Order: sequence, then structure tokens, then C-alpha cells
Amino acid sequence: MGIFSVGISGLNAAQSGILTASHNISNASTAGYNRQEIIQGTNNPMLTGSGYVGQGTNVVTVRRIYDEFLGRQVLSAEAGASEMDSYLSQIKQIDNMLADPSAGLSPAMAAFFKGVQDMAANPASIPGRQSMLSAAQSLVARFQSIDQRMTEIRDGNNSQIMGQVTAINTYSAQIADINQRLILSKGSSDSQAPNDLLDQREQMLKDLNKLIRVTTLKQTDGSSNVFFGNGQPLVVGTQPYQLKAVASVDDAERIVVALTGAGGTTLILPESQITGGILGGLVAFRSQTLDAAQNGVGRIALTLAQNFNDQHKLGVDLTGALGKDFFTFSPPNVISNSLNPSANVAPIASLDPANIDKLTTSDYRVSFDGANYRMIRAADSKVVWNSGVLPVSAPLIAPPAANPSVDGLYIDLGSWAAPQAGDSFTIQPTRKGAKNIATAFSDARLLAAAAPVRTSAALSNIGTGKVDAATVVDTSNAAFATFNATGQLLPPVLVQFDIPPSTYTVYDNTNPLAPVALEGGIPYTAGADVFPTPGISLDYGYRIKISGTPGAGDKFTVDVNRNGVADNRNAMLLGALQTKTTMTGTALGGPTASYQSAYSQIVSEVGSKTSEVESIGISQQTLADHATETVQQMSGVNLDEEAANLLRYQQAYQASAKILATATKIFDEILSMGR
Amino acid sequence: MRISTGMIFDAGVGAMNRQTSLLLHLQQQVAAGRRILSPSDDPVAAARALEVTQSRDIVAQFKDNHNNANSALGLEEAHLTSATDLLARVRELAVQAGNTSLAKSDRAAITFEMRARFDELIGIANASDGSGQYVFSGFMGSTKPFGGTVESIMAGGEIGYQGDDGQRRLQVSPTRFLEVSDSGNDVFKRVRNGNGHFVTDYPKNGAGVGTNTGTGIIGAGSITDPAAWNANPTKSFSINFSIDNVPVPPVTYYDIVDTVSGNSMLTGAAPLLPPTAATGQRAYQSGQPIILKSQGAEAAFDFGGSVLVTGDPANGDSFNIAPSSSQSIFATIGKLVGALEATTSGLSSSTAHLANDIGFALTNLDQATDNILRVRAQIGSRMGEVDSLSSANEDLNLQYQATLSQLQDLDYAKAYSDLIRKQTDLQAAQQSFARLSKLSLFDYI
Repeated sequence: MGIFSVGISGLNAAQSGILTASHNISNASTAGYNRQEIIQGTNNPMLTGSGYVGQGTNVVTVRRIYDEFLGRQVLSAEAGASEMDSYLSQIKQIDNMLADPSAGLSPAMAAFFKGVQDMAANPASIPGRQSMLSAAQSLVARFQSIDQRMTEIRDGNNSQIMGQVTAINTYSAQIADINQRLILSKGSSDSQAPNDLLDQREQMLKDLNKLIRVTTLKQTDGSSNVFFGNGQPLVVGTQPYQLKAVASVDDAERIVVALTGAGGTTLILPESQITGGILGGLVAFRSQTLDAAQNGVGRIALTLAQNFNDQHKLGVDLTGALGKDFFTFSPPNVISNSLNPSANVAPIASLDPANIDKLTTSDYRVSFDGANYRMIRAADSKVVWNSGVLPVSAPLIAPPAANPSVDGLYIDLGSWAAPQAGDSFTIQPTRKGAKNIATAFSDARLLAAAAPVRTSAALSNIGTGKVDAATVVDTSNAAFATFNATGQLLPPVLVQFDIPPSTYTVYDNTNPLAPVALEGGIPYTAGADVFPTPGISLDYGYRIKISGTPGAGDKFTVDVNRNGVADNRNAMLLGALQTKTTMTGTALGGPTASYQSAYSQIVSEVGSKTSEVESIGISQQTLADHATETVQQMSGVNLDEEAANLLRYQQAYQASAKILATATKIFDEILSMGR
Repeated sequence: MRISTGMIFDAGVGAMNRQTSLLLHLQQQVAAGRRILSPSDDPVAAARALEVTQSRDIVAQFKDNHNNANSALGLEEAHLTSATDLLARVRELAVQAGNTSLAKSDRAAITFEMRARFDELIGIANASDGSGQYVFSGFMGSTKPFGGTVESIMAGGEIGYQGDDGQRRLQVSPTRFLEVSDSGNDVFKRVRNGNGHFVTDYPKNGAGVGTNTGTGIIGAGSITDPAAWNANPTKSFSINFSIDNVPVPPVTYYDIVDTVSGNSMLTGAAPLLPPTAATGQRAYQSGQPIILKSQGAEAAFDFGGSVLVTGDPANGDSFNIAPSSSQSIFATIGKLVGALEATTSGLSSSTAHLANDIGFALTNLDQATDNILRVRAQIGSRMGEVDSLSSANEDLNLQYQATLSQLQDLDYAKAYSDLIRKQTDLQAAQQSFARLSKLSLFDYI
């Protein structure tokens, strides 16, 4: 060794330094690049008589400035931020639509009920009726367009899930590949780290982590295992595991994520396993917001349709016939599990009109374990039925009293022949509610604005008794059996006060000349309902009240409301539905919300969720920014620093070159001495 | 602290992005004039705004209904005002006709006008509203409620009513369904005749001609104790006059005889005729009220009122008293016309019959007027209710508007100042970034 070799070692080291600085400079904006520096050490000194003489320098290693702990922080924060980001971009679409002053449901609903009220003001006016029908049609169209938009969002959500799954698979394969190369390089040099390859893998993980939250486990062979959820593998060593987007066994319209295991088995993952990252955001949006919002709008459509139909059927239209259904709507959506042991088709579910207010926005899952039926409400995972019989056999066959509906639902088990243990099906009571609502007719005359019966007091009455306008409660009563065919009540009724008028008798007034007594001696209480009668419980589907002081022999009659074109009694009751509380009833209490407040509830839920997601997203992003900043502080390239390094190593190089020049000169001196 | 060059760029761009998005949000708020652009801006306020909007819309709907109610009630009121005037005129004519010195031609002129008034009243009762719906036909808006002529009444008939008893209503407040019509039955037909409790009349033969021969004229009578009147199971009786010709001058007696049993109420037994001071009848004196209640030692009975008979009834004359029933206004006028036209002879009994008939007609006309005034009073109170609801509605509307404004509207002053501030912030971020990013050591080597 000598002066030359010392100089050359300096030259080499300076060259490495310049090379590393240049590498840093040129990769200053490479994603995932961590700056590198050379670690210089002294060569082993030579022991001479005068002590150890230095032998120059060498580059021990090129070190990558990287802190694994900080890297993990970035991963964790970024998975959260990108989940919230994807959630936000999805939910924003609904958020903007719901409360839009022109596109939301509220204005259409307001216009609809205004139409009803205007019809009530002028029940005989055909143009008024027509405009009410038009308002109904535009309400229906609004329901459908909101549902259409949500279905589009759902379809978009499905296809994005498929896209994300593909992207995740690509990353898994690439990471497995890099793992392979890292194992190889580890084999060729155990002491020197393949810095750029490691950076590549870190970057790959970072990108993957933005799609789905992953955890990594470093292996001694240099590879890194990647997991998601509760330890489901994505990459183990050099083996990537493929995710698959498949249709749910419970609902073919729902794309879910499955893991392909060894041997090609497919395991459908519960949605709780898909957390973090864009995929996590997509899945969470669908299960937490989209389902509830679409079901919520569907529930309003169904409840409105059912209530309106019920009331409409208590009226009579301009043609003199009893009101028909005003809206049509679909029964609950029932889907058989595609893996059911039996190949039964799904049973039929129906709504319980009397308990329609108990309808929830949840989906249900009914399973049969061989002995018992279990019905689980998806929203709160509560078992709402667990018994050897379902609540709910055919509602029209078995009396509802014996078989109560659950959450406003009936299931016709008769249509589910011989279930086998393990069979299950999903009920979506309200999912298609908004989609399938429609108006049932377009003839304005068929709007039932009037009530089918009217009351009158005989002119010959001597007392001050008054009879109120009847309130119709049930037109399926036998009294209305031949109403449409004959335009008659079965029977028309005469209430005549006895002598003295403390009691009265109810007569069948089919033949007014010879009324037939039905029940007599009924004590008179002013303002009390005449029907059902106290004795034999006569009930003709309507209620009348007599008040005041009727005289002996005073007569009050109930007859069909023929030609009552100016009668708006039913129209007013239809209009009153607007503010009536008809929804969100519980088993213990009655309904608590009107249509509008139910809708406001959806708006407020979606709005709150949006703002929550937004603020969590911002905080996650801030966290990620901070973590990234910390990493950058340590590992990022500073061009000024590298410029200084360039200068430093350039000067070192020049100095080392000077050593060589000096050595040459020394040799020249020595050689010239010999001349 | 070590700074990487990338950080300078990332931080700069990030800061500018944030500033720009805040600026954009402010700009959108200012452009829309709304504080809440989407529910997520303020979920509670957004949901509340929807509900308040519905409340405001409903208030607006009630306002429409108030207008509808007012116009329907106003129309009805106008028709009933005409009817009231008409009845006043008929009453005037009836009083005129009572003048015994009128010539036949004068009376004919009066009946001619009465017939015209009758037709006019039918016209009023068949009035229709702007959309062609009959006002007084109950629910049967397209059915003409009344039809008939004076002749049909003179022949003992009544004016038929083709409508029903329905009262149209409109929702004028969340809980109030206000009646905006009255049925023709209630207005024109359900009018109690007589004094409202009983009706007085004189007996007629099969041809409808009065059989009294004296000049007795019976008033409408009155009930001062309705409870006593109502307590009687049967309320039909007659006041029979008989004269005891033995004393000089002869004494006129009257008896109150139950129509059903034929017994005298005063004695509780069959009337004893001819009357004497000992047969139980009361002595008659013109202008003295006939108390319809047992006096002194008479058998107990009590109708709770009295009736006045004036003039000189002949022996065997009688007046009938029966419970009031409903008599249409048309029938009242028609009967009056019939009575006027039937009066031809100058017999004193005929004059008495006419005087009686005019008396009955005046009583019934007053009842009719009262009934229409009662309906008008109801209309007035309904219109008053609409007015007060309207003004309450206006207040509500203002309140809802104010609430909505608070919930949704933008505070422009604040928004503008925020906008300027954010703009300044952004400019500062841009300028500082431009300066910072220019710094590089490479510029100097």
C-alpha cells in the first residue's frame, strides 16, 4: 500500500459519494424514494514502527435513510384517509341530491298534497282532479328518479368494487414478485441491502394500502407477508392470494369480495373484514348509507302508497263507484340464498296494511335450522322471531291475530315448501319501494273525493237532534258488497227515536215504507257512536254520531251518497295524510313521523354521515400528511443538501486527485534523482 | 429541522388546494345566497329546513283554502242577503194585504208581486257558483235542488228538495274543517212553523175552506216554560168555543180539548155542552191570554205557555194547536198567496180567516227570516274565523320565513369578509410558494 492507493481509495469514495448524490438528485421526485447516503470508513491502518499509518478510506455501504416505524404510521393514516375519501365521494352524490330544492322528494310531495287540497276545494272540477293526478304522477316519477339515481350509484359501487379487487390482485402479484427478487438478492449478498428494490416494495405496499388496509410482517429471508382484515393473507412469501368480486349468495345484485384459497376454493368474506382503503370505503358506504337511504325512500313510498290507498278506498268516485287503489307498488323483495340445500323458490312476503307504520328500513334474513325459523333484522342484528312456526303464514288464510306480522311484514310460508335445515332467504321489504311505485289509473273521474254514505235528518223531526256526516271506516264491510253494482247500501239505515226519546231503534230502511227493526231500545247518549250497536254489534263499516235532543219519533237516515259531486269529505281526509304521523311506529307506541319528517330524517342522517366522513377524512388526511412529512423530513431528498454533497465530494475528488498528482511528483523527483 | 425539497412543493400545493377549496365553497355560498349548499354543511338545519318548508307550504295551502272558503261563504251570504230583503218585502206585502179596505184589484196586484217574489226566491235557492255548482244542494253540487210552483203548494204540496243534507267543508287550519256551505234543507225548508213550539190554525173543511163562523183571531202563542211543553207526551189539542145563551148577554166559554182522546183537559172528562158556569169551561174574554195550564180546581195539565184569541168566536168555533213542524219558506209564501187569492167574499168570517192566515204567514215569515239570519250569522262567524285564521296564518308564514332564512340564508356581510380574507390567504400562499420554490443552491454553482 502506499500513497497511490490511499489517493485512489479517496477518489473511489468521492466518486461513490457523487454517484449517490446524483442518484438522490435524479430521484428527487420518484414516488416512494428514500434518500441514500454513503457510509465511509477508514481502511485498516498499517502497523509500522512509528505506529499505525492510515491506509485511506473505503465506502462501507450505501445506506437508505428509512424508518420502518414511521412508514407504518403513514400506512395506517393513509388507509383511513383513502377510505374516508372514497366514502365521501360516494355519499356526496346522495347528499347533494336529497335536499336539492328542485330535485329532492320534498317539493314533489308538497305539490302532490297541494293537488289533493285543491281537489278538496273543488271536488267536481275535472281540471282540478286532473292536475292532482298529474301531481301524483310527478311524485311517482320523483320517487323513481331518486331510486334510479341510487341504483346507478349502487351499480357504480359494484363495478368500482370489481375494479378495486382487480387492482389489489395486481399489487399482490407485484409484491410477491418483488419478494422473490428480494430473497434472491439476500442470497447473493447478505450484508448489503437492495435499497431501491426495498423502496419499490414499500411504494407498492403504500399503493395497495390505499385500496385496502393491510398489515405486513417482515420475514428473515427478506420477503414481507401482507395481510388484510383479521389476518386474511394477500401475499405470503412469493405466493399471492387472489381476491374475487362475486355476486352475494343472498342477493345477486350485490357484489361482494371473496378470497380464493389454496386449491381454488372461494371464501366469501363478511363485509366487516373489508376495512380501510378505497375498497373499505366503498363497502362501508353501501352497507351503512346507501342501503339505509334507498330503503328509507322506499319505505316512504310504500307507506304513502298504502295509507293513500286505504283512505282512497273509503271514498267514492265521480262515477259513483267505491274508490280503487290509487297507487300500485311491489311486495317485499325476497331472495333465496343460492347455496340453500333445498332448491325451493323464495316464499312470498307481503306488507301488513294495519301495521305498515312499523316498517323499518332494514333488510331481514330468515333461516331454518331444521326445527326453528329465525328472523334476524340486519340493521341491529336482532333476532325478531325464533320459533317453530314463522309469524307469518299466509295472512289471508290464518287470522293475523294468531299470526302477527313482524315489523309490518307477513311471510307466506305456504309458498316455501318443505324447507331443509340450512335454508335461508333475505327479505328486502323496502328496497324496491320507490322503484316500483306507480299510479293505478289516469282517469280523473276515478279519484274518490266523496264519501260513499250520507246522513240526513227528517224534516218532520221535532227535536233538536243532529246527525254528523258519517265517517267511513271500512268499505270491505258487507254493507258495501253490492255498492258498485247497485249503488245501494246493504241495508240503508234508519235510526228512529222511541217514545220517550231516551232510546232509539235501528231499522233496515231498504223499504222506507216498511222499515224492518234490527235492534231496539238502544239508550241514547248524545254524541256517542251509533255503530257498532251495543246489543248485537251491528256494524256497517261507518260511524255516525247523533247529538242534541232528539224528539220522540225523530228520524235519521243513512243512505248512499248518490250524485254527491260536491262532497269532498274523503279528499280532505286524503289531504290530512300529509301531516298525519304514519311512520316509524314501534311495537309499543304508535307512529311518530309524517312522510316529510321521515324524509327529513334520511336527509339528516345522510348529511350527518357526510359531514362526519368529511371531518374524519380531513383528520385522517392531516395525520397522513404529518406522518408523510415526518418521513420526508428524514428520508426526503433536499436538493440544496445534495448540491452541497456534490460540492463536498467534488472537492474530495479534487483533493484525492491532488494526492495522486503529489505522489506522481514525488516519484518524478525520485526518478530524476536517479538520472 | 431537515426539509426535503419535495415537502416544500407538497406543502405549498396542499396549502393552496385547501385555500382554493374553502374559497370555492364560500364563492358557491355567495352565488347561491344559501348557507347550506348540501345537507352535510349542517345536517340538522337542512332537515329542519325541509320540515319548515313543508309547514310553510301547508300554511300557503291554507291561505288558498281561506280564499276558497271566503268566496264560497261570501257568495252564499250574498244570496241570503237577497233572500232576507225578499222576505222583508213579502212581509210588507202581507201587512198591506191585511188591510180589509183593499179592493180586489189591489189584492190581485199584491198577489201578483208575491208570485214574482216566490219565483225569485226559487231562483235564489237554485243559485249556482262560478263553476256551475249549485250553492244550496248539499253534496249534490250538480243537482238542481228546488223546483215547484205556487200552484203545487196551493194544492197542499210542498216544494221538493233534490239535494242532500251535506255540508261542504274546507280545511282551514291543521285541525279545523270549516263548513263552507249550508244545505237547502237547512236554509229554506227546515224552518219551524208557528212559534217554534206549536202552530195554531183554524179548522177547514175538505175543500180547504175555514169552518169557523165567528170573527175570532188566534195569535201565534208562546211557550214560556219549554220543559213543561216538552214533558207532554201528546201536544195536539184544540180550543173549542161554545156560548151559553141562557144569561144575557150570552157568555162565551172555551174548552181545551185533547185531540187524541177528545177529553177536556180542564175537567179530564168528555166536554159537557152546552156550557154553563158549572160545566168546567173557562169564560172567554177577547184579548185575554188563554193560559195553557190548569188553573184553580181544573184537572192538572201544563203546556208551559199561552195563546191569545181576539174577536168574537161563534158557538162551535175552534182553533187547533199542534206541535210545530218544518215548513219551507216557499210553502209559507205559497200558502199566503193561496189565502189571498181565495178571499173573495166580504163575509166577516172570511175576513177573519184572512186575518188569521196573514197572522200565521207573518209568524212563519218571521220564523223564516230568523232562520236565514241564523244561517247568515253562522256564515258571518265562519268568515270571521277565516279572517282571524288568515291573519294568524300571515304571522305563521312570516315566522316560517324567518326560521327558514335563519336556517338557510347566508350572512352576506360575513361571507364577503370571509371571501376577501380567504382570497388574501390564498394570494399569500401563492406568493410565498413562488418565492420559496425559486430558492436553489444550484443557481449559485
